[in-house]
Amino acid sequence: MTMKKVLIIGGGGGGLILANHLDTNEYDVTVVDKSDQHFYQPWFLYVAFKGSKRKISKPIGELIKPGVNFVKDEISTINLDEKKAYGSRKGIYDYDYIAIATGTVPDPDVIPGLRQVYEEYGDYHTNVWNSEKLWSHVSKFKGGTIAIGQASPTCKCPPSLLEGAFLLEEHLRKVGLKDKTRIVFFTPFPRAYPAEPMNKVVEPMVRERGIEVMPFFDVDTIDVQNKTITSLEGDSLKYDLPIVVPPCRGTKIKIIPETVQDEDRFIKADKKYMKIAGYDDAFAIGDCNTLPTSKTGVTAHLEAMAVSEIIQGRYAEFNGRINCPFDTAYGKATFVIADYNNPVAPYPPTRVKHMMKMTMARIYWMTLMGTADPIFEQFFKFTRPEKLNKKYATSE
Amino acid sequence: MDTTKIIDSRGAACPGPITDLARAYRNSKVGDILELWATDKGVRADTQAWATKTGNEILDVKEDPEKIVVKIKINKR
Repeated sequence: MTMKKVLIIGGGGGGLILANHLDTNEYDVTVVDKSDQHFYQPWFLYVAFKGSKRKISKPIGELIKPGVNFVKDEISTINLDEKKAYGSRKGIYDYDYIAIATGTVPDPDVIPGLRQVYEEYGDYHTNVWNSEKLWSHVSKFKGGTIAIGQASPTCKCPPSLLEGAFLLEEHLRKVGLKDKTRIVFFTPFPRAYPAEPMNKVVEPMVRERGIEVMPFFDVDTIDVQNKTITSLEGDSLKYDLPIVVPPCRGTKIKIIPETVQDEDRFIKADKKYMKIAGYDDAFAIGDCNTLPTSKTGVTAHLEAMAVSEIIQGRYAEFNGRINCPFDTAYGKATFVIADYNNPVAPYPPTRVKHMMKMTMARIYWMTLMGTADPIFEQFFKFTRPEKLNKKYATSE
Repeated sequence: MDTTKIIDSRGAACPGPITDLARAYRNSKVGDILELWATDKGVRADTQAWATKTGNEILDVKEDPEKIVVKIKINKR
């Protein structure tokens, strides 16, 4: 009997976790990515605001288990009806199952003026080089107004936006520039943190640290000459240093039929099984899909685990669990925890949680290989959102 | 012709339904009707605050056992 072919497009967290959880004695597994390097994206923040020089990439070839094939190639087209993917360099790939896990693509061109700001100042979301660029501006900053935030609501990792403002404030205080600086955090959401229960936890810190918040600020244009950002809602903000995380879009790959993608090129998949609408043999995992959950590493991880079970003929579903580490600076952190059936719990920041976030950064590579699965299982069990809500949510 | 666009945000807790609403707003035009479906209880207050801020209009809020439906008319874009 010939082995069933599983084709995984994308060597990020979702793609590699899926590959490493498939039985290579039963399945012929191939990962295709245009790059042969994998980056630990949550560390971009520490490169941008602390100047961290830690090595945060590894070759994909070192992160897959024996028996999984890796091909460096750029896929241009996927035809779901013909079950074929077309590579730009190495030809045509056919499959029995396909999982698309291509993440997001930053799109600074959708907002007038943003491309120039993005190229000059970088950001703390898109890649390590942009984070290094931003650190070169932050570390040389001498005072004035810093406008920091996300340009549009479509963005990865909801806590990271405010984490950036917190770490920036900590840095400025440390170098004695706090009194000469105004930090304005703009956000398209109604409050500093979008989910109300977590906002209640972090909002007092935002206030205490003198970070100004401009809510309902969805960037419309940036006037680079006059150093002014204007929002769709009609507000404007003058800056000396702009730190603007660009909007992101789904995959660049042309997918046939195109009806499986939304207007921002995210792939429509069902929220429990990650199956691409209308197909039983095609999945979309992680940031590239339209699931009503945060675009974050943990969702990619849990979606990939569920898809690996489904492909191997066992029942599994994704319950919408998010578990986003949230560095509140000064050595403390919390986690944003929720799932499809339970709202975000108001989980307070502590030093222990900061240590957990830092430990996660160290054991990340193990999580891709699956060797840290037992630790995660225990952690998820003890931090179920319904449990946390019972313990920490106060009655309204 | 005016169009009604359904935005299904059921299950979204973080960042929440307001993300999908703000996304749809960017792609909308004056006269459009947006119908936001959500399970997150915060959607009532958030859409009200959003409508006040953006100058748009909440036409109706309905709740059934499975979802909260907020109907919004785009008056300003």
